[in-house]
Amino acid sequence: MPKEVRLPQLGQTMEEGTIVTSLVKVGDKVSKGDVLFEIETDKATLEMESPAEGYVRKILIDVGQTVAVGTPVLILGEQNEEISQTYIDSLSGLQTSAASTPAVETPPVPSSSTPAPSTPAQQSSPSPATGTAELPEGSRVISLPQLGQTMEEGTIVTTLIKIGDEVKKGDVLFEIETDKATLEMESPAAGFVKVILVEVGQTLPINTPILILAAKDVEISQACIESIKSGGAAPVIKPTEASAPTTAQSVEAPAERPIPTGGRVFASPRAKMVAAQLGVDLTRISPSPSAVRITEADVRKAAQTGTASTAAAPAKYGPGQRIAINRLQRIVAEKMLLSKQTIPCFYLNIQVDMTELVKIRTKLNKSGDVKISFNDFIIKAVAMGLQHYPIMTGHLDGDYIQLADTIDIGLAISTEQGLVAPIVKDVGTKTLREIAVYCKGLIDRTRADKLSLDDLTGGCITVSNLGGFGIDSFIPIVVPGQTSILGVGRINDVCLPMDGNIMVRKVMNLNLSVDHKVANGADAAQFLDFVKKTLEHTDNFTT
Amino acid sequence: MSLQVEDMRNKAVPKLGSLIKQRTITLDNAKDWLRTIYEIRFFEDKVFELLGQNLIKGASHLYAGQEAVATGACAAIQIGDVIGSTHRGHGHCGAIGNKYAKDDQARQTHWNRMMAELMGRETGYCSGRGGSMHIADVMNGNLGSTGIVGGNIPNAVGAALAEKYKANNAVVVSFFGDGSTNTGAFHESMNMASVLKVPLVAIIENNLYGMSVPFFGSPVEGAGCAANIEHIAQRSAAYGVPARIIDGQDVVAVFLTVREAADYARKNRQMCMIEAKTYRWYGHSRSDPRVYRTKEEEKAWKERDPITVLSKKLLEEQLCTQQELDAVRDKAEATIESATQFGLDSAWPDPADVTKDVYVAESYPDTLVTNEKNASSQAMKATEAFETAVKTLTGQTKKEITEKAKEKIRSEFGMNVLLMKEALIEAQAEEMRRDKNVILEGEDVGIYGGAYGATKGLLQEFGTKRVIDTAISEAAIVGAAVGAALRGLRPIAELMYVDFITISMDQLMHNGAFNRYMFGGHAKVPMVVRTEGGVGRCIAAHHSKSLEPWLVNVPGLYVVMPSTPYDAKGLLKAAIRSDNPVVFIEHKATYGQMGAVPTEEYIIPLGVADIKRPGKDVTIVTYSRQTMFCLAAAKELAEKHGIDAEIIDLRTIKPMDINTVAASVKKTGRLMTVAESFCMCGTGPEIVRRLIEYKFDDGHTGFDYLDAPPVNLAAADVPPPMSEPLENASIPTPDKIVAAVKAMM
Repeated sequence: MPKEVRLPQLGQTMEEGTIVTSLVKVGDKVSKGDVLFEIETDKATLEMESPAEGYVRKILIDVGQTVAVGTPVLILGEQNEEISQTYIDSLSGLQTSAASTPAVETPPVPSSSTPAPSTPAQQSSPSPATGTAELPEGSRVISLPQLGQTMEEGTIVTTLIKIGDEVKKGDVLFEIETDKATLEMESPAAGFVKVILVEVGQTLPINTPILILAAKDVEISQACIESIKSGGAAPVIKPTEASAPTTAQSVEAPAERPIPTGGRVFASPRAKMVAAQLGVDLTRISPSPSAVRITEADVRKAAQTGTASTAAAPAKYGPGQRIAINRLQRIVAEKMLLSKQTIPCFYLNIQVDMTELVKIRTKLNKSGDVKISFNDFIIKAVAMGLQHYPIMTGHLDGDYIQLADTIDIGLAISTEQGLVAPIVKDVGTKTLREIAVYCKGLIDRTRADKLSLDDLTGGCITVSNLGGFGIDSFIPIVVPGQTSILGVGRINDVCLPMDGNIMVRKVMNLNLSVDHKVANGADAAQFLDFVKKTLEHTDNFTT
Repeated sequence: MSLQVEDMRNKAVPKLGSLIKQRTITLDNAKDWLRTIYEIRFFEDKVFELLGQNLIKGASHLYAGQEAVATGACAAIQIGDVIGSTHRGHGHCGAIGNKYAKDDQARQTHWNRMMAELMGRETGYCSGRGGSMHIADVMNGNLGSTGIVGGNIPNAVGAALAEKYKANNAVVVSFFGDGSTNTGAFHESMNMASVLKVPLVAIIENNLYGMSVPFFGSPVEGAGCAANIEHIAQRSAAYGVPARIIDGQDVVAVFLTVREAADYARKNRQMCMIEAKTYRWYGHSRSDPRVYRTKEEEKAWKERDPITVLSKKLLEEQLCTQQELDAVRDKAEATIESATQFGLDSAWPDPADVTKDVYVAESYPDTLVTNEKNASSQAMKATEAFETAVKTLTGQTKKEITEKAKEKIRSEFGMNVLLMKEALIEAQAEEMRRDKNVILEGEDVGIYGGAYGATKGLLQEFGTKRVIDTAISEAAIVGAAVGAALRGLRPIAELMYVDFITISMDQLMHNGAFNRYMFGGHAKVPMVVRTEGGVGRCIAAHHSKSLEPWLVNVPGLYVVMPSTPYDAKGLLKAAIRSDNPVVFIEHKATYGQMGAVPTEEYIIPLGVADIKRPGKDVTIVTYSRQTMFCLAAAKELAEKHGIDAEIIDLRTIKPMDINTVAASVKKTGRLMTVAESFCMCGTGPEIVRRLIEYKFDDGHTGFDYLDAPPVNLAAADVPPPMSEPLENASIPTPDKIVAAVKAMM
């Protein structure tokens, strides 16, 4: 069995040695203690003795070469034993990777002035980083995963780890914004964060390397990082490179997180602390006139006026201003255009007498622990209607109309960033109270930018209510993939003829836009009328 | 003893036999001297050897050759007497330790601890904090050895002053070398000792060379010369004290003369000088090639080896056989060998203990701290009421108005309104009444009542024994305070100006502040150096500085700087009671400042800052007179600019109450420091540094809470100028403080 002999530390301060003379050649038999080389260190020229007995099978270094302590210099074996290239390659000059092979340590030569350490220092010294482009064994490049079926790229919103951190499988590494939502990216493996290849704010295609994990003491060379960044192929370990260490160029852990693009924000330490506490985005604040940095007062003012929450608010618009279109608005634009281009709609309008429902809602909310909104009633009524008229859950799938498995209803929510319509799942099986609780959670998640991909998937109809803005009636646009959309107007006091009298009733307008590819007027009309009647007969609602 | 210098070398030394017959000594005494000489010799030879093996590191000034001086002198004094050692102190430590060793085991322990100390081990006399140059068993009347040539002479004078004050009949033997007799400390000390008539025996060990420079010339070409007189004893004439020259190689001669001198000092309460001519076998230190002296001279002296001289007497007078002498030698050698092994086997000091014993640990009860805070704000209120009363009350004269206002404050607040200097006098008088160990010494503290009137009346009440006017000798004033404090007194030393502290800095730092630590925590130096500083009287660069940054840079010192009469009184009383050395710096412009002071007894804890004005917008940290300037600035800031400044008066610069500062900055987010000292490495930058590094319980640092860069206002980097406009330009003033605060908001 071959044994490699490594350059020993011949003095306390020795880090490398130069081979002055080689006193053996391949085929020689050496005994333990025989001098193999003369090595010049930083202090003196010393003899390096053989730590074991055997036949010299391979000399891995040349006279004149300077190598680091721990570098394999010679292979001993049986007489005429063949040393495979694989074995030589496996030595690779990196001690960590050589751990599986039985290394024979050369005993250090005791120096005349200092007592030799009883344990060779190289046993515990960390492996030196080499300038080669190989990825050290045990390290792993983590790439941006596809976090949803439609995801093609993602934006790094937050980095939750820093260089040197130990991460477990399943730990959250980044928050990634996709076309649908901001999602948590979990670590697929355990290890220590060595290199972070991306910066907050960067948008990257899926499968882009974003992080390197490795064992604690492994260092990743700059060359390796460059290779990974440039998308180079998996580096091949070359023995010649491995046994001839060049100047180590280790990656230093950056002292701070990558500076976000857009330049440095000058803020006082206190302003930064308060901003973090209040969730204020410093990049959206300007210092007071003539001041050079953002102070606590600036942050508090921003927090009060809500102009700079980290959830991002629309800036105040001024005449002539050019407003960058955010990701959400771009998605809305794309989908609405797609809808107008591909969905031939017809529109139905109906008035609903909400007088009784207003009363029953007030009553319910007096006693109940959950506040039930009008939307909750409407969603419930729509769900009941869809159960009666399942065609209204269909979507075109080639030559077929595919009906939905469950009643999932979208709810249009306006946020500071723009319009989102997350899905209230499986409404058919939910009571009014359950719908109320679910919707509250959904709205909270939306406002906190914490929607999951699931929250955004599915749906056969969306409820959009602009009544809160004082709108009586409007025609909404169907979300591609759904059958219809219900536009809800405000509840208004209206004089209505009733049983021969003119009565003041609380009336609400409903507008339904319907994909004519799926449903015809009669289906939709019956469905809408059912919704109206459901809302008007309040005994339909049990909490 | 006559005042003339008597050269005892011209006289026959009495035979040992006759001394034994007269019962002056016993034969065992003589044999014990030989044993001590051998032990010192073997110790030094061993140290030399171990230095070569790197088993002992650092400096080692070996005493070999001079053993008869320490042995004879320590034999001649009594248990309870005190010695002061030198730069070459192994012999003194060895001899005095033998004197106190009751049996052979104790003697072995003594040498063990000496050797362990040189090796830097925890078991050493000073737990490895002192080593060769600071070796001392302070518990047994050794004032310690020193790294500063001549540095220990003033301490010996102070110790002698203390022994005299305590009237316990002890004398102090101060050893020092020829090299030290050309230092100012020597002259100041000899003069002070002779003037104050203290029981001091000054033993000059004249080994002829101060390192390489011969005291009085050398036949070696190129060698220098330190003095123009051959016999240092002749300098006794300058102090009007008797002196003798003796053969330092003859332990009997040393014994007899020192015994006589000690009797003289004890009986007459007067110092005397002995010059012992001697020689060191080794060089100044291990690395010294001894090129400045001839081989012939070395040979001649070695023929007069103290071992040879004493052995010869014992043999020739047939008091001992050679075998008996050999047994003494062998015993001594075995002792040193055991000590060496003990040292090598001993543990190193724990690096975790590196800061142990710099200070005597002191704390105050929480209730005292809380009550004081209330008292302080009461005093502030009363002072404000007094100032208002002075403005509103009417009377014929200013004095009458003032008296009326004082009366008003007495009736309304139960407080007296005092001048700063009156508060200082009250503090000292109360503490002197309370503790008889409190004495006062310095320039003009007696009949003049202090240059700024802060000791007026104390001489009348406490007399010249406790209120001691001294010559203008700053090193000796502070050094004597250190010595007196080491011997159990609580001296207050007054220096007229803090500028003069430069002259006494060696004493203050190396002995006053460091002794406790260097001596392994076995010593304490409870003294107060009262002085004053700052600009304000147009007295220019030698009388106007604020040197507290120098002083806070000294581990082991406390630095206190009051701003009001209330603070001055309470802080000075606490300083006097503290077991640590305190420099108490008053401000020359505040002696006439009036303020309310409680009528009942109180102290102010050292190391606790005082919020003189609460505020929310900016924290201003200051002390001394600048507190008054900051308060004036804060008033203007509030009235004209709507800025609410919090003024923190540190009161004690060291230890620094950074907690109060940090809590305030947490609130305000802004820090300004205002001091009258120079800025570079000054107190202001130090406050900022401490604040930035401060760790709050919430995990944040002081840095995190800053909302603006901290600003330091300090003296301009100029020697304080005399001319008044320049003087004002050189320091922070209220207008500058206002402008600087506005700029940082």
